[in-house]
Amino acid sequence: MNEERKPSAEWPLMQEMGITDREIARHQAFLEFGDEDIQELMSINELAQKYADPIIEDFYKHLLSFEEARAFFPNPELIERVKRAQKAYFRRLTQGEYDQAYIEDRLKIGAVHERIGLPVKLYLGMYTFYLRAVAARLFEAYRDAPERALEAYLSLMKVVFLDIGLAIDTYIYRREQLIRQQQEAMRELPTPVLQVRDRLLILPIVGVLESHRARQLTEQLLNSISATRAKVAILDITGVPIVDSKVANHLLQTVSAARLMGTTVILTGLSPSIAQALVVLGMDLSPVKTTVDLQSGLEEAERLLGYKLIPVGEGMAQM
Amino acid sequence: MADEVRVMIQSDADIVLARQQARGLAKELGFSASNLVVIATALSELARNIVQYAQCGEILLSRIEHGNRRGFVIIARDQGPGIADIERAMQDGYSTGGGLGLGLPGTKRLMDEFEITSGVGQGTTVRATKWMR
Amino acid sequence: MKAPILKIGPYLIASLQAELTDTDLLELQDALVEQVGRFRSRGVILDVTTLDVMDSFATRTLRNIAQAVGLRGADAVIAGIRPEVALAMVQLGLDLRLSCVRTTLDLEEALAILDHESKGSGRRG
Repeated sequence: MNEERKPSAEWPLMQEMGITDREIARHQAFLEFGDEDIQELMSINELAQKYADPIIEDFYKHLLSFEEARAFFPNPELIERVKRAQKAYFRRLTQGEYDQAYIEDRLKIGAVHERIGLPVKLYLGMYTFYLRAVAARLFEAYRDAPERALEAYLSLMKVVFLDIGLAIDTYIYRREQLIRQQQEAMRELPTPVLQVRDRLLILPIVGVLESHRARQLTEQLLNSISATRAKVAILDITGVPIVDSKVANHLLQTVSAARLMGTTVILTGLSPSIAQALVVLGMDLSPVKTTVDLQSGLEEAERLLGYKLIPVGEGMAQM
Repeated sequence: MADEVRVMIQSDADIVLARQQARGLAKELGFSASNLVVIATALSELARNIVQYAQCGEILLSRIEHGNRRGFVIIARDQGPGIADIERAMQDGYSTGGGLGLGLPGTKRLMDEFEITSGVGQGTTVRATKWMR
Repeated sequence: MKAPILKIGPYLIASLQAELTDTDLLELQDALVEQVGRFRSRGVILDVTTLDVMDSFATRTLRNIAQAVGLRGADAVIAGIRPEVALAMVQLGLDLRLSCVRTTLDLEEALAILDHESKGSGRRG
């Protein structure tokens, strides 16, 4: 068995999406697309070249008659570019070459349409339009030998379905890429550090605290303490769903480091389940001040800082 | 930056020197401020062990690359009396020098990789690596 | 001796620099203990703001200084441990050794605390 040729940098989209020769071959085998189909397609090539342009023109006329589709093609240059690419593509459908250059081209067109935001339904709708338009012309041309037209049509359908597979791959890949980027951006979101009183900081932590974020949090807290000369800092973990032993250790280290800088850290919002889980893990949180919620944490902080809340007299309120 | 820097350790003044060298080299490599402190602290511990237990030894500082990751390697070597029970020495709180006994296990916690070879009468070699994140 | 000691009223302020060797630190310990006695100082501030490393020896020595001057009637405060240094110390487990020593953000805070304490003890006295 030959060593599988990996897609090279020559075919950037194939490489980026990880589409290998073997995968293509497997897909073709699944659709039973073989040499006979290629022969069929090449036999109708002359006919196909004639009607590629008018069919694409008709298709885009149809597509752009819908207001929702027009929105995706804001300028005529874009439409011309896309039409040109599609015409070239449909001409290749019957030329007998279904190599990496062909695949790469298919992926590229799919990517362009995905990038402008065209819904996948509209994009795939193009294929049925093409098939129906071609079917009409095919059966017209082979009026006297309908079985031949049918054979050619079936082969055409197979290659179109191979292409639909690639188009869907492109859309899915780009969506997954977007999700990955968003997740990455969320991971990088720093925790806000709020200074609510002189020498008092509040850090509301939301989301999963994994190592990277925990390290970031520690750096932020300690640097903020230095910058604002905070004497008390409240770490509110109400919005943290899970705290495992690694994160708990990290929090403990953060509290200890803050203490070395002369700051008291109050941990608030420890849910009952997290508290129990930490007990089970054998974590000793006794060196850390904890309160059940942010409000009591704030009261404790104010007490430590020597603040006292004096309600304004009723007389003044009426004024 | 030279591939390897060697510092002879014979007195406590050398500890400071080695620390400054390590810090400078690690800074050239591009380590963050907090990692510079971590590396300098680990080195201080290792260098002091040499002074305290072996009176003299050497520290080798070098850079290392693994794939596209860069790291900083500290090798602390001496021909001193060696450690009889490495396992015990690696426990927090254990010390034969009347000190805190936190030198070795603490250093292991600070660095990413830590190897120690030692035997009675055979000297001690510690190799510790810190990788850039 | 390399670490300068400043006398400000009832307090002694020792500024530790990064280049201090172990020997220098021990000499500082001796000097502080002697001066606390000579000046009847009420407080000793160990300013580590410029220290970029606090290893086990430095920590142990500072703790010893705190204990020694404490025996001679002075409160000791360690001021100015930097964020990265604090973190490294905690990873090394050194913070536990300082649990009986007051640590503050900076010199200003250290003075404020010592003033506050002495006022308090004044009233009690």
